[in-house]
Amino acid sequence: MKTEGRQQVSLQWHSYFPIFIVCVVGTLISYFIGPDRYTQRILLLIVLWTAASSSFNVISGYAGQVVFGYMMFVGTGAYTTVLLFKFLTISPWLGMWAGVIVAIITALIIGLSTLRLHGAFFAIATIAFPLITFPILNYLGLEELSIPFTGHGASSMQFRDMRFYVLIAFALLAVVLITVRTIESSRFGFALRALKQNETAAEGMGINTYWNKLMAFLLSAGMGALMGTVYSFGLLYIVTTHAVFGLFIMVRILSITIVGGIATVWGPLIAACILVPIGEFLNAQFGDRYPGAQDIIYGIALIAAILYMPEGIWGRIRRSFRPLPSKSTVSMKLVAGEDSKQRVLDKTRDYDSLTFKPIQPVSMGNYTNDPILKIEGIDKYFGGVCALEKLNIEVPRGKVTGIIGPNGSGKTTLFNVINGFLPPEKGRILFEGRDITSLKPHVACRLGIGRTFQIPQVFSNMTVVENIMIGAFNRWGNIDKAYAEAEKIAQQMGLSGRAYCQAVGLTMWETKMLEFSRALATQPTLLLIDEPMAGLNPEEANRIGKIIKVIIKNGITVIVIEHVVQSLVKIADWMVGFDNGRKVAEGPPQEVIANPHMIEAYLGAKWRERYATS
Amino acid sequence: MGIFIESIISGILIGVSYAVLAAGLALIFGVMKIINFAHAEFAVLAMYFPTYWFLNWWGIDPFVSAFIALPMFFVLGYITHRLLIEKIIGTPEAETSTLIITLGFSLLISNLILIGWSGAPRIINQPYTMATWSIGNVLINRAQTYSLFISLGLISGLFLLLNKTLIGKAIKAAADDPEGCAYMGINLHFVYALAFALGIAVTAAGGCLMATYRPFHPFFGETIIIILFASVILGGMTSITGALLGGLIIGLVQQLSFFVIPIALQNVAVFTILVLFLYVRPQGILGKKGRAV
Repeated sequence: MKTEGRQQVSLQWHSYFPIFIVCVVGTLISYFIGPDRYTQRILLLIVLWTAASSSFNVISGYAGQVVFGYMMFVGTGAYTTVLLFKFLTISPWLGMWAGVIVAIITALIIGLSTLRLHGAFFAIATIAFPLITFPILNYLGLEELSIPFTGHGASSMQFRDMRFYVLIAFALLAVVLITVRTIESSRFGFALRALKQNETAAEGMGINTYWNKLMAFLLSAGMGALMGTVYSFGLLYIVTTHAVFGLFIMVRILSITIVGGIATVWGPLIAACILVPIGEFLNAQFGDRYPGAQDIIYGIALIAAILYMPEGIWGRIRRSFRPLPSKSTVSMKLVAGEDSKQRVLDKTRDYDSLTFKPIQPVSMGNYTNDPILKIEGIDKYFGGVCALEKLNIEVPRGKVTGIIGPNGSGKTTLFNVINGFLPPEKGRILFEGRDITSLKPHVACRLGIGRTFQIPQVFSNMTVVENIMIGAFNRWGNIDKAYAEAEKIAQQMGLSGRAYCQAVGLTMWETKMLEFSRALATQPTLLLIDEPMAGLNPEEANRIGKIIKVIIKNGITVIVIEHVVQSLVKIADWMVGFDNGRKVAEGPPQEVIANPHMIEAYLGAKWRERYATS
Repeated sequence: MGIFIESIISGILIGVSYAVLAAGLALIFGVMKIINFAHAEFAVLAMYFPTYWFLNWWGIDPFVSAFIALPMFFVLGYITHRLLIEKIIGTPEAETSTLIITLGFSLLISNLILIGWSGAPRIINQPYTMATWSIGNVLINRAQTYSLFISLGLISGLFLLLNKTLIGKAIKAAADDPEGCAYMGINLHFVYALAFALGIAVTAAGGCLMATYRPFHPFFGETIIIILFASVILGGMTSITGALLGGLIIGLVQQLSFFVIPIALQNVAVFTILVLFLYVRPQGILGKKGRAV
């Protein structure tokens, strides 16, 4: 995904081809090795740990929410199946699905309570659950469960030949890898990658982060439960709380995921192929004299991977096979003749020809007296500090409304309240006549309120086109259509030269253009633009003004916060002046900037007097 | 009634022993905003070396060992920070990266202890280990009582160090605003390393004290680390005072819970409180609610 140049986005059948090949070849290898238990055991361990790590990768790699208590789901799956088999003689083939259901319910309980925590807090909170389950099971006398041997063979998942278990495990691995591969190139996967990198921006781009995280969590948990079943029937025979709920499960899964490569399809498999045999070999050789040798390998692998190879083995391999997204292209292009022309052309293109579709086509004559956005009596406090007080604003349709005011006067807070990042204490907001006061940002975005941020919030490890796609997904569920739309917008905004570069290497101007593109890709009817000219030179600021005018021409209403009053006056049709969370002036731009309140707010009382006398 | 008072007293005694360990964890989190998963393993290491082995080799009393452990583990903590933590601090994923790397390190420590000194549970055998004072029909363990006073001394020492010395002020400043500190000529890496070393040293001393009355084994850390997290989270993560309070509450909950639930489930009560707290009041008892966005 980190490449330059156009890439394949949508999935074709051949995207899954390598997965089939690996699983079939693996099964064949297992078949031809023969029934030697020791070798088959290692093979089975490799496949099972890969499956578990890949499942873990969905929530912790792709979605970036490290679940330290992942063994909870492996254990739940194992215990459910074994208990059903032991006491109700329900076949594990059925029991494993019961295990999945129980694990998903468990995940729902855990997820609902912990997914709103962040980073390390989330990790710690999740680890509490297996630690709660552990003593409860022990207390109930379920510390050790031996799987009864019934002799029914296939129907009770009991085979003398280990190769059958390897076969089952490979089937499981195929399912897991196909799921992961599908997620990787789906709208869901994009949403996960986006929220991992920048939750605020993802919310602003119409992604329901909580819901997406929860779905990833449930999916992870279900697949982990399947692994738990096969693990207990194929390897353990006697299931103990320590063996399936123990911290060492977490350590293996984490090591394999991180050493292999976080958020990759093939990383866990490669890492498992290396770590599992080494661990088993050490255990066989020195296990009796040095019982902890195997765990030490995993510990060292974890430390070494984090310190020296955070992108993992697969990340390394991928990087060395694909050209680096070189950051030096910018400066080189400026020197080179041909390219620089393209760049200049990109910058100074005639923006008048741009068209952006708002979600509902607004006919130009429609905006008579009906304001698109009504803010009625909004109060917002931070602790005791009053950020917005009794605010009433009506935003005229199809025009540029400028908001000015000194730092800390509540301008950005107003934007945060409008698109739902902050709930107001009092008052209501009507958008197109609909009350949107308590709606979440992603809902606001879907309704047609776009937003750019004061400090650009791009998804830095995604390419420019992928960034825009996140916005485009709001209107096009289909990945190919979103991709095509994103490419089109990138070209319109003069980003075509950088479309396949990572957003992290962009210049200030390009980053701003990316924010605009992404917001426009959501096809807003109302666009909130927060300090678009900050950090730009006067010429670039002028160009921003032109772009805003074009946006207006396309029927999108714009609210702009800006400090550069002179630039704002040129583009705004209507202006609102803020001071200390209150609206102090409103009207046509020239009137507002001449308003004594505004002069005082910006420059102090002395200047107001001087202005009055002159 | 006697048993109730006894539970409260032993709850306080155990609570303070957690509080010392948790204070180090809170110090490290408060300054660097990282969670040290290997924290309890340092305490376990201190239980073996110096406490247990110094007693066996040279007959050095565990309470003396606690003060030997302070400089020893200060150096060890400093080295650990320089080798493992320093590189990751400041990267975008520092929070989870350090959690994972310290998890790896905890595995390393506990398994090395297992290989070196076997997995057999150990116990310190000193006259005061089992001895008790009796007040009426309430029995109080002597080792725990001595530990309590030394623990309080350690904590006061930590407070004095943080509040009265220049280096303590630098640590507090770094916790508040790292960037500002860097501009004021404070070497951040050095201050971080000091804070980490200090946290580890206090914890190790706490471990030595705990060893005087509790049997321990190489994987003892796994059982107490979550209790420490619970204490720190209850106390609002960054505050040492909060961690003390949290440790006390956890100790009391553990000891009093057996009136309601079976003793085998006492940790269930603790972890349930941890989860509830994370859910309802993630900023802890003393913490203030942060500003959104």
